[in-house]
Amino acid sequence: MLAYLIRRLILAVLTMWAVSVLSFVIIQLPPGDYITTYIAQMSASGSFVSAQEAEALRQQYGLDKPLYVQYLRWMALILQGNFGMALEYSRPVAEVIGDRLWLTMVVSVAAIVFTWLVALPIGIYSAVRQYSLGDYIATFVGFIGLAVPSFMLALILMYLGFTLFNANIGGLFSEELAEAPWNLAKLWDLVKHLPLPALILGLAGTAQLIRIMRANLLDELGKPYVVTARARGLPETRVIVKYPVRVALNPFASTIGYLLPYVVSGSIIVSLVLSLPTVGPLLLKALIAQDMFLAGTIVLLLGVMTVIGTFLSDLLLLWIDPRIRFEGKQ
Amino acid sequence: MSQKRKRMTRREFLRDAALATGTVALAGMIPTQARAGQASEPKLGARLIGKLEGPELVLDPAKWPKKFNEAPVLAELVKAGKLPPVEKRIPEEPMVVKPVHSIGKYGGTWRRGFTGPGDGENGNRIVSTDKILFWDYTGNKVMPCLAWDWKVSDDGRVIAILLRKGHKWSDGQPFTADDFIFWYEDVYLNKDLQPTPNPDFMVNGKPGTLRKRDDYTVVFEFPDPNYLFVDILAGSTAMGGGQATQQHFNRTMGAYMPGHYLKQFHSKYVSREEVDRKAKAAGFDGWVSYIKNRWDWRLNPELPVLGPWKTVSPINTPNWALERNPYYYGVDTQGNQLPYIDRISMTLAENLEVLNLRAIAGQYDLQERHTGLTKLPVFLENRGKGNYDVRLDPALNGSDATLQTNQAYEADPEIAKWLQTRDFRRALSLGIERDQLNETFWLGVGTPGSVAPAESLPYSPGPEWRKKWSTHNPKQANELLDKVGLSKKDGEGYRLRTDGKGRLRLELLTAAGAFIPHTQIAEMIKEQWKKIGIQGDVKEVERSLFFTKIKGNEHQISIWLNDGSEVLYLFPRHALPVDPVEAMLGHPIADWYASGGAKGKEPKDAQLKKALELFRTAAGKKTQERYKIAQEIWKIMVDEQFSIGTVGQSPAAMGVRIVSKKLGNIPSRQVNAQHARTPNSSHPATFYYKA
Repeated sequence: MLAYLIRRLILAVLTMWAVSVLSFVIIQLPPGDYITTYIAQMSASGSFVSAQEAEALRQQYGLDKPLYVQYLRWMALILQGNFGMALEYSRPVAEVIGDRLWLTMVVSVAAIVFTWLVALPIGIYSAVRQYSLGDYIATFVGFIGLAVPSFMLALILMYLGFTLFNANIGGLFSEELAEAPWNLAKLWDLVKHLPLPALILGLAGTAQLIRIMRANLLDELGKPYVVTARARGLPETRVIVKYPVRVALNPFASTIGYLLPYVVSGSIIVSLVLSLPTVGPLLLKALIAQDMFLAGTIVLLLGVMTVIGTFLSDLLLLWIDPRIRFEGKQ
Repeated sequence: MSQKRKRMTRREFLRDAALATGTVALAGMIPTQARAGQASEPKLGARLIGKLEGPELVLDPAKWPKKFNEAPVLAELVKAGKLPPVEKRIPEEPMVVKPVHSIGKYGGTWRRGFTGPGDGENGNRIVSTDKILFWDYTGNKVMPCLAWDWKVSDDGRVIAILLRKGHKWSDGQPFTADDFIFWYEDVYLNKDLQPTPNPDFMVNGKPGTLRKRDDYTVVFEFPDPNYLFVDILAGSTAMGGGQATQQHFNRTMGAYMPGHYLKQFHSKYVSREEVDRKAKAAGFDGWVSYIKNRWDWRLNPELPVLGPWKTVSPINTPNWALERNPYYYGVDTQGNQLPYIDRISMTLAENLEVLNLRAIAGQYDLQERHTGLTKLPVFLENRGKGNYDVRLDPALNGSDATLQTNQAYEADPEIAKWLQTRDFRRALSLGIERDQLNETFWLGVGTPGSVAPAESLPYSPGPEWRKKWSTHNPKQANELLDKVGLSKKDGEGYRLRTDGKGRLRLELLTAAGAFIPHTQIAEMIKEQWKKIGIQGDVKEVERSLFFTKIKGNEHQISIWLNDGSEVLYLFPRHALPVDPVEAMLGHPIADWYASGGAKGKEPKDAQLKKALELFRTAAGKKTQERYKIAQEIWKIMVDEQFSIGTVGQSPAAMGVRIVSKKLGNIPSRQVNAQHARTPNSSHPATFYYKA
């Protein structure tokens, strides 16, 4: 068991290193660098940069150095616990991400909770009452949820919110509270703004989850142990919830690995459309601006999250499923 | 507006827009080209483009107010003993502004939208009265700003500027010639901060110098005549751009800096170890990065400034907020210290659609940035609900979608030959139906024609150059193409290359995410060129790749705005290949020009070379002569069609103004140009809330 854990740990560290190299290289792949992007942006916004200024900036950021030197510098910084300076923001990367990180988590967790609360009961219902009217409706709604891109849904809901209710457009806070220090009013404001993004983000996942739950449960329901339980006269609810549902939940444990990075930076496009102050839009803008410190750190963070998540789900499966546990021992 | 009607046809919308407003006067530059059958319909532009107007400076000291008032919030601070009385905060020679409509009222928060830390110009342009000299509201006449007067020696080598006595920084410390000396000696001449000299502070490649004559007189000296330097000080340039613009995002120019504050971060005044330690503690790699961060007004709320507002919540947060500068040097004609508005609050919009939606919802009080012309129908539809007006401010540049032919192109000799053939370029231009482009992409409010700047400017070669080689004439175009030797066509009617390698294909390079839909415009031009047998290939790339390709001399024809070219000498980049940062007519030519022939490639075309030579002589000439030279250059550029103009003088860039009905002193039309720092020529410090 210990050897298994150590092996996984060493693999995890190597994976993270590979992720760091890959993320740095990929960000550098497009032609030009941050200064090129900056010049282009200035040109498009009615201002300009002179050749002398551009050269001075390249020297200041070390962009005139070869790629591997830039990478080693970045790594040296990271090992000291410093992620570098976000070029566009002129602030340490850790601060820029930190600002948005926990708001991102609030939104994502809300979306996940919404997904589970809605999807699991409906999934169970659809499986137990297969081919009933309710199952058809749930299936229909589920497939629509899967088929409609969430950014589209976001646009439509935002438009309806504006025309019908004159609601605030985008964001997580009302304008007057955006910069206010934290208090009850601001918290309440956040709670009021949360349902729309949670609904939009959650809906696509909901459809998927309903289908998975339904399929898994249908597999289980016909199995002899269920028939036996019924034959022994257990109440129907207990028969279903206590045994087959538990087994059907198994695949969810193995997807936790993907849930963690999602919590940090799921939903880039939806966040962008809804103008949410989360990590997603930050990553997109950093990539467009070729800000390799900021983008690199976020990508690295996502990589680390995936690795940790996978590790966790491995452990969880080990615990839930005796078959894996015994295989590990052999 | 009508809630029931969710969708309008274009025709309906034009009629509706025309009926909805009634009072706006006709401006001089309204497009008159109406297509057949539409002639009787009033044009949209006529209703939304007002009369050019703006606040004026009172220059006669006898007419200046003698007593001063201040905002109630400041009066309270004075009462509490936290601020000196208003007379002590205003210079002896204040900038006296006569507001465009009336004396205003104090108070209020101006709500705007911005798109993130890259959007510094959003605020820079509002506080641009921190420039040494500026322009009047027409954008044509140089006016005092920080300097209340200036003197140019007869030989044009010495330019003196006179500062205002008793002028103070926003922290109450005096603003004097020493702040210029600090910038010159400790920043500009410091190799760590400024590795290479800036061309704006040179003439004919020779550096200028700066010295202090007395506390309130600063003298710039040049080895050769440099009459242009006054325009440079007034323009949006490295020397004259002002503190906010030239010292944001690590920039080092602007000609002055608050020395008393910045010395604590400078290695000359504090030991190197000490400044480096401070920098590291703040998360920077060394004192150079740190001092550059400290002098950035958008990032550092402690930085002393001279503009009407100063940052209280920095740009790298979701809410960039500005607050009034209690020491601002401007007053109105009754002696009320400006600005009228207490606070500016810019909220972050992660994308432009959200920003435009918020504008429609009336969540901004005044927004001319990032509001798109193509969204005009929706803006108009929601005017009543959002309680705002829409104003259009046409720009002064000739063409918002300019086809720049690469005169240094080499990759394909056959294409290179045609791009360098005058009649071929003229034929391409005559093959474009500009009215169709105007109707489709500029909603008919632009002006079709050549690249020449607006006729209202002294640089304009005259109205006849608007149409020269810039009308739709496929017949003449076909004749020209047949004449130059491109008479053979393939089965589909496209002309064939002369080297036997099939169809002649011209690549049109466009940038994705540009403010003007250049790609779609290029697609339409491609369709129009079918009539002259020319095959266009539209190639859209990401914006920075666009510039990288151009720099690599890879493009055949690129499409971009020629904004800024209306003030030829201050911003020649989009008109002539002279600036190595961006030269769409050929980077090697710009390298050749900038290096004085040492690098790059000499232009093959004699006329292009002549235009560049004319341009080189201009800095040493007096104003009127300079205008004549500019006219000559424009005549060459239009006659040769190196740059093919389509539709310009439009409000497409920063010209769609959403104005809350609560605001006063808003000009019905303002000059929309980079050198005028739109909206700064309207003196935002005089805007106010009526109720």
